[in-house]
This record gives sequence, structure tokens and C-alpha cells, in this order.
Amino acid sequence: MKKYFTVFKTSWENELEYRFAFVLSRFRNIVYLLLLYYVWMNLSQMTGRFAMYRAEELTTYVFLAHLLRSIIFGAQSRLAALEINDGTFSTYLVKPITHFWFIFWRELAQKMIYFISAVCELAIFIFFTKANFLWQNNIKFLAFFAVAILGSIFLYFLLTYLVSLLAFWSREAMGPRFLFEWFMEFASGAFFPLDILSKNFLLVFQFLPFAYIIYFPLKIYLGKWDSWQIVMGISMQLVFIVISSLLVMVAWKRGLKRYCGEGI
Amino acid sequence: MKKYFRIWKQLVVLAFGSYISNRMEYGSYFLGKIVRFSFFLLMVLAIFGHTQNIAGYTKYQVIIFFLTAFLMDSLGQSFFRGIYLFRQDVQRASLDYVIVKPVNTLFFILTRMTDLLDITLLVPLMALIIYAFSKLGVLGNPAAIFQYLLFVAIGFVVVASLHIISAALTVWTMESEVFIWFYRTSTFAALFPPEIFSHPIQLFFTFIIPIVIIVAVPAKALLGILTFRLALTAIIVAIVFFTGSLLLWKTSLKHYSSASS
Repeated sequence: MKKYFTVFKTSWENELEYRFAFVLSRFRNIVYLLLLYYVWMNLSQMTGRFAMYRAEELTTYVFLAHLLRSIIFGAQSRLAALEINDGTFSTYLVKPITHFWFIFWRELAQKMIYFISAVCELAIFIFFTKANFLWQNNIKFLAFFAVAILGSIFLYFLLTYLVSLLAFWSREAMGPRFLFEWFMEFASGAFFPLDILSKNFLLVFQFLPFAYIIYFPLKIYLGKWDSWQIVMGISMQLVFIVISSLLVMVAWKRGLKRYCGEGI
Repeated sequence: MKKYFRIWKQLVVLAFGSYISNRMEYGSYFLGKIVRFSFFLLMVLAIFGHTQNIAGYTKYQVIIFFLTAFLMDSLGQSFFRGIYLFRQDVQRASLDYVIVKPVNTLFFILTRMTDLLDITLLVPLMALIIYAFSKLGVLGNPAAIFQYLLFVAIGFVVVASLHIISAALTVWTMESEVFIWFYRTSTFAALFPPEIFSHPIQLFFTFIIPIVIIVAVPAKALLGILTFRLALTAIIVAIVFFTGSLLLWKTSLKHYSSASS
């Protein structure tokens, strides 16, 4: 375990060293925050609600999505695809580490820094806009919310890691990752609550793993679901985690057989 | 002019070769761009499933802002994608070889890579814009369409200026993508009319990163709600950005030290 903490620490320092990437990533998220906050605020200011959400719930959804994006979404597994393609991946094979956990801890450091930054951004934003935030005080919802976030972190990582392993089969893995990232970002509910879409779209999205990454935890926090729906959601999250884990294991084993370490 | 068109055409042929040899990669990028566009459009349509207007704008009026934002982004990507390769040129000092070519350095830097995916995307975008025009009843109004195209052209000058500023800053800082990514990220804020934002944010997006000039001004011109004051502001901002960017570029070239050669 100690070696992974070292990976975490090194990645943390690395992230702070390359401040441009950090600033750019945060700027992108701040633009999303501005856009989404003002869109929903405009839509709900006349009647105090929009679709099935009260104004306060919508702004809380936007604010918490901003926080969850920072702690769930990461970019380090993308590097894994690049490393497989350029051959530097070989160095991991001779180290006493598990590649999956190495990338996980490397990404976790980045997420922690982004999360701290997101909390500060949000505090400043709420201070200036005087926006209302819904403080959930029901312990049951808060506990399930925490569990769902943990599940989201693992589910997101497994899915992105799996897509990165495509690099074992093709030198053109970045294109599919770009496609996957955009699809996932929308289908996860990072931009808007999925239930403002028509019922047919919602039905499709509920059977995809992405909806359990952002939309599901936020519905729990807002107290929109009863205990039965929450348990069903967490079960779905678990099922997707298990399926993705199995796929990662199969892809890893088969991919390693194909890997030839060219480029080093 | 003919010479530059021939050069650009040759660069497009080279880009085409690269795209053909990486079909899976570029096919996925293309699909990714379509997914991004479709989901944002879905968001706009879903919103109008629950309301009649946003900040006083109707569905097709908002769609004009939305489509213009994507149009301007795609135009920039189509013609100035070379900016993303420029940092390498400066770091490796291969800019030396560009400077000595009998062609305008700035032209070559910006256009050396053509994004054929975005050029392809322009076709459905234009079709959707014409469809939105028909829904707004402006197809039979050549004056409105002329004003739209005029301010799209002015917006494109601002887009070009932002790319030139980015190139100039690269020579100094060697971090090419910083500025241009700030601009590209900001275009997301232009998907909806600027009136949704508070006044200070509108000012920021008018004068600092002028996406209001690039996107909202043409859209408002088409809708017939462009005020004389905002039209004049757009022209002044375009002139200031363009001349300022050229001056900055000339000054930055004087600072180029060819350090790695």
C-alpha cells in the first residue's frame, strides 16, 4: 500500500508542477458552471421551478455536479492508452506494481487537487451570486449519497480504463476515447438532470452505466428517490462495476498477449 | 491570392492523406463531435419541452445562437488548426524553416493543418441553419441574411485574431494551447443568448474573450434585434483585436531566439 501512497504523492506534486493544465481544466469547468447555473436560474426564476425541480434543487444539482465532476472525472487513464501506444508501458511490467492501481492512485491525486479547487470555486461563486443551496440534513440520504459517490468513482475509472486498454489492439485509441468521453459526460447527467429529457431517452439512459455516475448520486442527495429506488440504483451500480471489472480483466489478459512494446 | 489558395489546397490534400491512414481514429473523433453537438441540441430541445422561452428568446431564436456558436467554432477549427502544432515549432526551433519559406509565416502556421472533420461538419450545420432560418421566416428576407453573413465575417476576423494572439504568445511563453483553449472553452458559454448572464459576465465575454461579438452579434443581426451600439462595438472590437494581434505577432517575432536550433 505504501508504494501507492508514494504514487499518489508524486502525482500530486506533478499536478502542481504543471499548472497550465490545471488552470485550463478548472477554467473549462468554471465556464460550464456559469453556463448551467445561469441557464437553470433563468428558466426557474419566473415560477420558482422548472420541469419537476424547484429552483433551489436545480442550482444545487449544478453546484454538486461541479463538485462531482472534479472528484469522479479524471484524465490519467487516457495517459495509459498513450503509454501503451508509445511503448513506455513496458516500464510498468518490470515494476512491482499493479498497473490498474498505479493509474488509479495517480488519477486520485489529480482528482483530490481538482476537488479542493472546485470547493473553493463554488464557495466564491455562491458568495458573489448569493445563490441558494439545498443543504440535505437527512442522514439516510447523506449516507447513501456517500456510498453512491464511492461507486461512481470506481465505475467511472473502470469504464475509462477499459476504453484505454483498446490501445493494445489499435494505435488509434484516442479517437474512441474522445467519443466515449463526450457520450459519457452527457449520459452521466453532468450537464443536466436526465429526467428533463423525454421518458424514452430516460429509459434508455437508465439501462446504461453512465447514469449511475453523476445523475444517480445527485438524485439521492436531492431526496428525490425513496429507499427502494436507491437500493435498486446502488444494485445497478454494483452490477455495472462487476461487469466492467470482468471486462477489464479479460481485456488486460488478452491485451498483454498482443502487446509488443514497440517504440521504446 | 492564387498562390495562397494553391498552398492551402496542397495542405488539405496532405491532411486528407493523414485522415485516410488513421480511419478509426478520425472516424471516432468525427462521431465524438456529432455526439457533442447532438447532446447539446438535445438539451436545448428538452428545455423547450418545458418552457416557451429563455430570457425572452423563443426556441428557434435560441437555436440560432446555438448553431452560430458551433458554426464559428467549426470555422476556426477548419482553417486555423495549425495553431496546435505551433508550440513544437517554437520549442524545436523548426519555426526557422517556416520563416525562410517564400510564404507569409502567419498564414502557413495557422493553415498548415486543416481539420477536414470540421469542414465536413459545416455541411449539416449549414443545412440546420437554413432550416432554422425557414422556421424564423427570414429566408425571404435577404437584408437579414446579409447582415448575418456580414457579422459572421466580422466574427471570423475576431476568431482569426485570437489565433494570431495565441501564436504570438507561444513565441514568448512556449505554451501555445493556453490562450486558444480559453477561447474554445468560452464558446460553450455562447450556446445560449448572452442575456442569461449577469452584466459583468456579459462585459467579460464582449471585451476580454469576445464570444458575444463572434456569436451573439450575428445571431441578433439575423433576428433584427441588433442595436446600432452593439453593431458598432462589434466592428471596433474586431478592428482592435485584428490590428492588436498583428502588432503583437510582429513584436513577438522580434523576440524569437531560435533557441534550440
